Parts: sequence; structure tokens; C-alpha cells
Amino acid sequence: MKLVWKLLRQHISIGQFSGFTLANMIGMTIILLGLQFYQDVSSIFSSKESFMKKDYIIVTKQINAVSTLTGKGTNFTKNEINELKNQSFTRSLGLFQPADFRVSASMGMKNVGMQFSTEMFFESVPDEYVDFDSSQWIYKENDNNLPIILPRNYLNLYNFGFAQTRGLPKLSENVLSMISMNITVSGNQKQGLYKGKIVGFSNRLNTILVPQSFMNWANEEYGKNESVEPSRLILEVYNPTDDSIVKYFQDKGYETEDDKLEQGKTAWFLKIVVGIVMGVGILITVLALYVLMLSIYLLVQKNTTKLENLLLIGYSPSHVAMPYQLLTFFLNGFVFVCAIMILIVVRGYYLEMLESLYPDLLIGGLGTTLLLGIILFITVSLLNMWVIRLKIASIWKRKE
Amino acid sequence: MDEIVLKNALPVVFEERRSLINSDVWLKELSLKKGETVLIEADSGTGKSSLCSYIFGYRKDFTGQICFDSTDINKLKVKDWVKLREKSLSILWQELRLFPELSAWENVMIKNSLTHFQTEQQINSWFDLLGIADKKDSKIGRMSFGQQQRVAMIRSLCQPFDFIFADEPISHLDDKNSSIMGQILLSEARRQGAGVIVTSIGKHMDLDYTKILKL
Repeated sequence: MKLVWKLLRQHISIGQFSGFTLANMIGMTIILLGLQFYQDVSSIFSSKESFMKKDYIIVTKQINAVSTLTGKGTNFTKNEINELKNQSFTRSLGLFQPADFRVSASMGMKNVGMQFSTEMFFESVPDEYVDFDSSQWIYKENDNNLPIILPRNYLNLYNFGFAQTRGLPKLSENVLSMISMNITVSGNQKQGLYKGKIVGFSNRLNTILVPQSFMNWANEEYGKNESVEPSRLILEVYNPTDDSIVKYFQDKGYETEDDKLEQGKTAWFLKIVVGIVMGVGILITVLALYVLMLSIYLLVQKNTTKLENLLLIGYSPSHVAMPYQLLTFFLNGFVFVCAIMILIVVRGYYLEMLESLYPDLLIGGLGTTLLLGIILFITVSLLNMWVIRLKIASIWKRKE
Repeated sequence: MDEIVLKNALPVVFEERRSLINSDVWLKELSLKKGETVLIEADSGTGKSSLCSYIFGYRKDFTGQICFDSTDINKLKVKDWVKLREKSLSILWQELRLFPELSAWENVMIKNSLTHFQTEQQINSWFDLLGIADKKDSKIGRMSFGQQQRVAMIRSLCQPFDFIFADEPISHLDDKNSSIMGQILLSEARRQGAGVIVTSIGKHMDLDYTKILKL
């Protein structure tokens, strides 16, 4: 093998191979960095909201003086709902179902002398809009435990408003999740007691959410059995950046509860930009691969006589191909390792910046990027090996 | 492999003067057997090197049939040829096919490291016998053609074989070295029970031939 390598390394052009290595390194770094950056940054758009589906919008009607005075007009009629359901931008539509009964809740830690009690309300949305562990987000009849999702605003209001001015302790989400609320539900001359357990906090849903199964059951049990028109809709769209959504909402006087549309646009543009950047990376990698292929073709061409003679004294084509295959394998491996190292350094810089902008940012790992890198490395190496094998085979067949 | 059989074989380039061919090899049924020592005498341009190329699977531009035992060589696959070239057929090419970038010793070892057939001691003794012991570390490119022929001969012996071909092996050697080379070749072939096929266009190796053929 040593002698074969000594023979076949003749005519290897350091310039060509360094050119390939550099170009491939740039290409691979861009691809991997693009993916990693997208993963790191996209968590900004979905941070702490992991249990809600992404491309949906909450729709309400504008409240104005007339609707305040008449007490009507903020609910969606069946016709309005059907019309919205049939719009081209709508993927699916869910209704907020309000509770048709009275709810009061008390919570606190008696041993520290804190006890709150308040009137409140419940709403529910169909379970498919709540991307939550279905074993936790469920209510079983005659079970006293009731899972609840609270708006994060409520907690902030308490922590930074109430607790701050009254000198009360601030509560973290984890602490609050451990406390159970005593929920009293009444109506229809009946009363029920439940243990409310907070399973999550939402930035985007300004309501107290309970499972649809509980709401269906409780409305029947405690409600007046009047069908209530929903005042809020949950709308899943194909593309949140679609201009026709904004136009339709303006025409109808609808509002969205959060900046989902804007956020959707930003996320969409981010996807496009990262897509373009990764596309450029792929292009560079493909070109680098092309340079490598040309170099190998040239190398094999220059060494044709040597390769032919090796084959004639009994070396097999695979044996003769191996030095060049190993050469490209190690070059690709070197490129992979370098690209990952560059990625880690660059990521260190931008993460520092991101963390100062978004202190709560959940930073993901390098797993997916490493996997993509390994897949690229293996794919490129296999392709190289295959081409080299073909070239050697063509030398074998040249005289045939 | 015990036998190489040629049945009506003829290089494609001779096809046009087919009727004028008067040869003991072309267009005949010929069998070369293991253990025989055969001399093929030829004029220039009668297809001597072509014959070697066909038998080594290097070229296929012939009509008729060439068989190893009962197998048509046109049906052999790449892996069959690799095995044959490593274990059954050896050749000293007329153009030698040595590697000018390597030394004489390395040119031999590149073959022996593949087959692990000869000991270094044996190879050394051949270098001594052929008078090129002092050239072992010289680059092939800096050696005379006669010296290169001796290196190529040693390399061709570094493998097991049923048949060994020597294509004009002594064209650039003096009588003394020709005789030594003939003895080495014959003793190694006898040891292995192999067939020896020597070609020549004039001066030929002085061996005890069982058959002399005119190409």
C-alpha cells in the first residue's frame, strides 16, 4: 500500500486540492451555520409557547361605543363563522367556547398566610389547537382534577404590579404550577368543587383555558343550556403573511389579539433569508465538489499508465482506487471538522448578542446541525468514491 | 489452469489478409499445456505482443476463441482477471511496464507485497545472480534497458503462476546474462510445474524447448 501510494501521489496538485478544501469548507460552513442560526433564532418566535400551534390567529370583533351600549355585536354569528371558514387563507377554524356557569377560584399557601379568592371565567378551544401532552390536557368525568392554562400576563400583573407594591413574594411559573387552586363551579342550582392545576402559561391566549371535554360536560351540567355565540375565534392559516387576511379583517372590522401576523411575517422572511443563504452554501459546495472531481479526473488521467500497469501486475481496481478514495475521505473529514469548529466559534459570538437581546431565549443544541454535517460528509465522500471507482473502471476497460 | 487453447484466433487487423496467413498459431487450433516450454518465433509485426495482450485480458480485438481450460476468456469478469493475474499468469512484457519513479527494489516489492510469494532472501539472490545487486536502490528511469529487463524478470517471478510469458526477454542482454536469466526462469517454472512461453524475433533464450512455433 505504501509503495502504491508513493506511486499514485505523483502529480497530486496541492493548489487544486487546497482550492477544493477551502471552497468546500466555505460551502459547508454556510450550510451548517444557516441551519444552526435558523434553529437558534426561530426559538425567539416560538419561545415559551411550545404548547400552542404555530400558524394561528385569534380573531375578535372591534369593541366600540355602540357595541358597549347595546351589549351586542361582539359575538360571531353562524354566517360570519361560515364565511370565514370558506376563505382561501383559512386552513381550519375553531371556536372559543365560553363557560355558561359561574366560576370562582381561591388559591394560596395557608402556612405563609396568603390566600386569594376571585371570581373568574373559563373558556375552551378544540383540543387540536392546543399542542399539549394529551394525557395531561384531558378531563375525565367525576375526576376532581382540572388542568388549566393561564395567560402569562396575569402572573406578570401580580408579580410586577400587585406583589411589588404590597411587598408580597414574587411567584415563579414553577412555584405556581405546584400550587393547586380550589375551583368552585356553580349554576343550574348545582355546585361543584375541583382542584385546578396550572399546566402551562400562554403569551398569546388572553383567557383561562380548560380542556374542551370539561367545558362540554360542565356547560351541560351547570349551564342554562342556551347556545352561546362565540366572541373569539381561533384561525389556522396557510400563510400568515398573506395580504388578503389583513384586507379581509379590515373590511369586516375584525381584530387579532396579538401580533401573530407581524410575527408570522418576520418568521417567514427569516425562513426565506436562511433558505437563500443555505442555497448559496449548497451551490458553493456543489461547485467545490465539481472542482474536486475535475482534479481527480486530471490526476487519474496523468497517472493512467501507472494505474494500468498496476492493474496488469495483479492489483484489483478497488485496491488501486483506494488511495484516492482515502485521500478524498480524509479531505472531506477535515472539511467537516473545520466547518463545525468555525460554526461553534461564530455561534458563540451571535449567541452572546442574542442572549443580551432575549435573556429568556431557550438555546437549542447542535444535534440537528451535526447530523446534517455528517450526512453531507458521508454523501459527498460516497459520491467521490463512486466517481473514482468509475474512473478506474474506465481505465480497465479502455483497451476493451 | 492447465491449458491455454487458441481456436482460429486472429487479430482483427489481420482480417483483411486472412487468406495469406501462414502461422502455427493464428487460425489454428493450438494448445499450450502446463509444464511445456514453448518458443514462439516471429517476424516483426506478426502479432507477438498482441497475443500476449489477449492472453492477459489487456486487449480483446481478436476473432476466433481463446480459452483457459474450457472457459472462453471473453466471458471472464474483472475479478476473474484480477485473480488470474495475481495467481495463475505471469508475464515479462516487451515494454517491461516498470515504474520509473520507483527504485529497482521497489518495483519488485510492489508485486511481492501483493502476493507475498517470494522471500526477500530469494529476491536478493536473484539480484546478485543477475549482476544488478548494486542497482537495487537506483531509480528505474536511470537504468539501462538491459538492466531494466532483469528487474522486470525478477518481478514476474514474484507470484505463483501456471504459465509464464516472456515477450522478447533478452533483446538487450549479453549471452552470459541471457543464460543466467534462462536458468532462473526455468528453475522457478519447474518448481511450480508451470508452462513457459518465450517469444523472440531473432536472438532467443537458450532453453530446452518442447515446442517451437512460428507466428
